Amino acid sequence: MNIAPRKLSLAEWDDRYAQLTRAGLKEPAYGGPLRRHIARESDLRLQHLRFDNSPAALRLWNFLLTENERLHQARAGGEKIVGTMKDLGTVPVMAYSLPGVRAFYPDGAWWTPCLMECSDRLLQQAEALGIDASFCPVRAMVAAFQNGEHFPPPDLLICSTGAVCDDFSAIAQRLATLGHSILWWEMPRRRQPDPHEASCALPGNLFAPQVQVDWVREELQRVAQSLGELAGQPLDDQTLADGIQKANEVRRLLQALRTTVYSAPGAPLPALEMLVAEMLAIHFCSDRGEAIAVLGELLAEAEKRVRQKQFIIGADAVRIFWVNPVADLRAMNLLEDWGGRICGSDYMFTHALDLIPDNLPPLEALARTALADPMVGSTTERAARIVRECRDFHAEAVVVSRIPGASHCAREGAIIREVVQKALGLPTIELEIPPVCDAMLPTLGSRVQALIETARARRKS
Amino acid sequence: MKVFYSSPWVPVEWIEAHGLQPRGVWFAEDLGWGALPLSAGVCAFSEAVLRFAETHHDAAMIFTTACDQMRRSFDAFAGSQPARAFLFNLPAIWQSPVALRIFRAEVERLGHFLQAHGGRAPVAEKLAQVVERRNQSRKQLLESAPRRSARQYAEAIARFHWDGSVRVPDHPPSPASRAIPLAIVGGPLTASQWSLLDLIEAAGARIVLNATESGERSLLPAFRLENVSDDPLGAVARGYFENCVDVFQRPNTRLYSWLGERLTARGVRGIVLRAHTGCDLWRAEVQTLRETFRLPVLLLEADEVPGGSPREANRIQAFVETLK
Repeated sequence: MNIAPRKLSLAEWDDRYAQLTRAGLKEPAYGGPLRRHIARESDLRLQHLRFDNSPAALRLWNFLLTENERLHQARAGGEKIVGTMKDLGTVPVMAYSLPGVRAFYPDGAWWTPCLMECSDRLLQQAEALGIDASFCPVRAMVAAFQNGEHFPPPDLLICSTGAVCDDFSAIAQRLATLGHSILWWEMPRRRQPDPHEASCALPGNLFAPQVQVDWVREELQRVAQSLGELAGQPLDDQTLADGIQKANEVRRLLQALRTTVYSAPGAPLPALEMLVAEMLAIHFCSDRGEAIAVLGELLAEAEKRVRQKQFIIGADAVRIFWVNPVADLRAMNLLEDWGGRICGSDYMFTHALDLIPDNLPPLEALARTALADPMVGSTTERAARIVRECRDFHAEAVVVSRIPGASHCAREGAIIREVVQKALGLPTIELEIPPVCDAMLPTLGSRVQALIETARARRKS
Repeated sequence: MKVFYSSPWVPVEWIEAHGLQPRGVWFAEDLGWGALPLSAGVCAFSEAVLRFAETHHDAAMIFTTACDQMRRSFDAFAGSQPARAFLFNLPAIWQSPVALRIFRAEVERLGHFLQAHGGRAPVAEKLAQVVERRNQSRKQLLESAPRRSARQYAEAIARFHWDGSVRVPDHPPSPASRAIPLAIVGGPLTASQWSLLDLIEAAGARIVLNATESGERSLLPAFRLENVSDDPLGAVARGYFENCVDVFQRPNTRLYSWLGERLTARGVRGIVLRAHTGCDLWRAEVQTLRETFRLPVLLLEADEVPGGSPREANRIQAFVETLK
């Protein structure tokens, strides 16, 4: 039976789930109706979201929302758990190369206050631990570590530092002070090679001095050593090369998914599911094999809809390029309600979407990819990629979404907007999305709608 | 040519040995005077440095990677005037051999930048002289602290970072005071903000430790000079790398060791933490400072208004009163 794509409320998903089950829906072990996440994990925000109605989207959501549960199961099954922080996409490639090791980002706790509509009180607990509301919502991580009610305590905690967000660095340091031992590794601030220096091509059309790549490679070697000790098996080149190949499988799927969805005349999948799907790139939502299966299904669904010209958001919607992840997932629903659709994104980890070179020694390849992180180079370079993708996907407007309290947001938005306006003349806005944005709906609505109206007016002219 | 720098961890000896004039921005009278039109979350210091760089067309400007805000101020500046901007990559880690190599490479790169702006490759002998002179100056400054008010001491250190000079007061140390001994800790304290120190002392306290970025913490201990002739660049890099003490370092235990030693020795009874708006690195230390040193901590957020506000004065008075 071919059901037209549609967004469903949680209540509508109850019926849809019953219908799919009757029709013989086969689910993985973590499957089930979405509503159960409210009772089990108090994911109250689900009641205010609208979801794609495909089985592929159901699988995606169940995959996302069972991550902590799956991590606890893995721990109980004797696997080693690695908490990897800040680098967004590099260390997990190494960790998943080793048998019996599973890596996750405690950083992901930043969405917990949103999902639980702050009923978890993680933000208040973080404040009591010395990290108040002047910091980015990733501060929820400190409380999650301390109360132990979310993810299992990692066997090894690794954090990149140097040219990273100050919020994160400061919060991770607080974590270390509270007694959580951290292996720090340095990420230099990426720069253009000087004329006399050997230059090195990085993924994402970037360049850096070879010496910076060498430093990162040496630092990753230190990380590899620790991971190998944890696993009881060295992370040698062949093992890592195999891991890179698997990671690239995820990245290829995501590239295909992004191209299919963002270049289609209408949106075959909603912005919210695309955001969640892109997040799988960074640590495979704690299960690499399953991430590949989830993305494969989503891609198949998107391709089918494009073939059948069935879109969840029509071709009239204004094509928006979105910069930075949103603290409240609902914002992605709202953008579509207000007449927009996502046709491109930079959620701060574009380096985790690019293929890791497979024609280089594996650690060198990984070092180059790590150094291509949009947040460790100049904002102008980050903006240049945004401009390229705006062109590729025919964006009509750009939204720079500020993360509350994030120190890098104070200035980068202005730089990105200036570069975009100069290069493309597109209308842009900068707005801030808190973990639960309901109270700001009138403001957000009027700002986004004004942007959309401006973009529409440009169509006529 | 003047070379302005915005962090005490930029090796000034290296700049001076290139025949150029290093100028630490904290002393500059035109740094951050007047209210700055800041957008939300922008650090007033990073904005002031950016404006300062934009208005000094005939000088080079050295930013550092010590924090997000300064990195992005560099981005904003280098976008329009790349030729006279330099971003010095200060590594955050210090326990990995890579960190020293990064620092050393940055000193070398800075040398190329300075030569592109009229500097001459330094001769080892000249560098050794500069290092020795600056070592002596720092020592004199440290020894002169008891003979100066907190403001005079901050000004003397800033002047040293400005032109390398030290004027030693000729009067004897002040008699023992019954004022409450406090430490001031935090990011940069610029000329326009020194009145804060007067406010603290007027409230009945005395600053016995200025551990701001532009205070005593910026006075490196004497370098070892034995390798200068063989490897001048390495000697300077090692001298700074091994003695850098700052909040951005990971782990930050160097900072706490440095502070702990001095807070205890000087009988400090309370800490004033001065953090700029948007400075996550310092704000995150408030609770750790309290827990580690078991001292009361007053967080003062520096905004764009120079000179201290009545609200700030009131908070300082209340803090000192509670310690009496």
